[in-house]
Amino acid sequence: MDIWNQLLQGFITAGTPINLLWALLGCTIGTAVGVLPGIGPATAVAMLLPITLKVDPTASMIFFAGIYYGAMYGGSTTSILLNTPGEAGSMVTAMEGNKMAKNGRAGAALATAAIGSFVAGTIATVLVTLFAPVVAAYAVLLGPPEYFMLMVLAFCTVSAVLGQSTLRGLTALFIGLAMGLVGIDQISGQARYTGGVPEMMDGLEVVLIAVGLFAVAEALYAVLYQGREVETQNRLTKVHMTAAEWRRSWPAWLRATFIGFPFGTIPAGGSEIPTFLSYATEKKLSKHPEEFGTTGAIEGVAGPEAANNAAITATLIPLLTLGIPTSNTTAILLGAFQNYGIQPGPQLFEKNAALVWALIASLYIGNVMLLVLNLPLVGLWVKLLKLPKPQLYAGILIFATVGVYGMRQSAFDLVLLYAIGLLGLAMRRFGFPTAPVVVGMILGPLAEAQMRNALSIGEGKWSVFLQRPMSASLIVVVLLVLVLPRVLAWRRRRQLADSGED
Amino acid sequence: MSRAAQTLIGAGVLGVGAVLGAGAIGISGEAGYSGVGPNFLPWLVAGFMVLCGAFLLWEASTGGFRQMDEPDGADRGHWPGFAWVSAGILANAALITTAGFILSCACCFMLAVHGFKSAEGKLDLSPRAWIVNAAVGIAIAAPVFWMFTQALAINLPGLTNTGWL
Repeated sequence: MDIWNQLLQGFITAGTPINLLWALLGCTIGTAVGVLPGIGPATAVAMLLPITLKVDPTASMIFFAGIYYGAMYGGSTTSILLNTPGEAGSMVTAMEGNKMAKNGRAGAALATAAIGSFVAGTIATVLVTLFAPVVAAYAVLLGPPEYFMLMVLAFCTVSAVLGQSTLRGLTALFIGLAMGLVGIDQISGQARYTGGVPEMMDGLEVVLIAVGLFAVAEALYAVLYQGREVETQNRLTKVHMTAAEWRRSWPAWLRATFIGFPFGTIPAGGSEIPTFLSYATEKKLSKHPEEFGTTGAIEGVAGPEAANNAAITATLIPLLTLGIPTSNTTAILLGAFQNYGIQPGPQLFEKNAALVWALIASLYIGNVMLLVLNLPLVGLWVKLLKLPKPQLYAGILIFATVGVYGMRQSAFDLVLLYAIGLLGLAMRRFGFPTAPVVVGMILGPLAEAQMRNALSIGEGKWSVFLQRPMSASLIVVVLLVLVLPRVLAWRRRRQLADSGED
Repeated sequence: MSRAAQTLIGAGVLGVGAVLGAGAIGISGEAGYSGVGPNFLPWLVAGFMVLCGAFLLWEASTGGFRQMDEPDGADRGHWPGFAWVSAGILANAALITTAGFILSCACCFMLAVHGFKSAEGKLDLSPRAWIVNAAVGIAIAAPVFWMFTQALAINLPGLTNTGWL
């Protein structure tokens, strides 16, 4: 019953008025950035990283976590109500929810999305509570070779498996790794790629890269290519589900939770795969398959939304227990921990138990807050969609300035910010993913240190990675992850070719 | 998507790889017990960047980047709008230490709004539009400035030392 005692302690810490306020503030900002186009949770957390200079770690982690999952709730409101040209196919919720809204059922779609997010988020938090300490206890047994291979696995999945092109994913990863090289080498203390500039000794600031790649690049992209796009908005109906809609929603929520959760826990990054899996499952099991893609099926909203939230919550397990981020936002959360000199990993549950359990407790509290923020108050958020684009993006640039300048007080950083923005603009236009850059930059130095420590253990021999069973099996997993999708694609192509010949 | 631009991207990646390689020459290889020194990862990254750049060049020259979706948005960029927004960001960098956060950000806001308006085809350069945009910029920047300097005690540059302007 140790877990329950610690969780109770966590609730006591998270339940103090000041921490509740931080959670509420985080959930509110999170919902807002979720609703607003052009800014996501990763950008928002990055822009607010300067608060780590003054606010105590527990409060700021509660705050950032609130932004992280608040954005998931808010995001569905936008995808259901807004008809953004060009983006309809990118998110599954946008597909079905948008169809429902067009047929006058926006309210039901919003309700099933919010309640589904709550159900999945809460179940996933229970699972995090139960499993994170177990994983942490097991992770203590891992040595540098195993850690290094886990990080390689994360690199491979983020860059090579997700996204369209392996080549462009890998290019992005190496850009990130190169950025991570700048500064003092952790092991030997030697300066690398600093160009003799003293400011570069500390390395490139995470805020700078993240805000440049996401916020500035997004603004530049919007002004260059999206000025003429006209968005239309669906009419908001009463947020309410009929008994029949409840009956159709809840099995989808539960199924999706158990689809989404495992995907979040493995370093396979992102929630795209589980949302699509859940969508496919619901489509297959539904008694109303004719509604999918036509009038909009409620299961098609309920499932993917729940899967998304479960996966997002579960990404906290690799982040907290192994110190391995698997998405943009968790990479920046890791950066926030590092600003406090805290390295997430198995020791976190011993050294910073109070912080971890307060964070987990705040997830329970935050989910309740978000349900209240998003169901009765949805009308308020919808008003945000009416913000005119010029003022919205120009305002985002002000916040970008605060984040970057507040961190290091250097006007030169603002010029760098623009340069990174140009890089992000080119990457977006030419189909390079950005997540590998951020993950590579933050995880790169840690992976390098683990690799060199591992080699020290092996007295300079690379065979150390093969001699330890756990690390050897991880190598096999990495190879499978790299090879399997290609073999499957090749077989599919051959089958297609065969059937074409018949 | 133009072939020339893709070639340029590939060449850029190749060039970055080469620069990283040149930088790696100056890093010591003092390995200690581990057999690899601080120059190992730089060489590895530089090598892979060159490789990726070469592959990108090859893809660009043999039918364009593979597995590419058509990028969303217009086919041609609206460069005047881009110039306005760029001017806004760079003006901010140039002015922030002298004019202070609020005025500098308001200036950035004003220029950026002009840029987006011009992208929408509704550029309005009347004195009224300048004043309104500047006022809205100040109305956004000022509370942000106060929140950071007063509530969080994080240093942002002001026109005065009062922490209010």
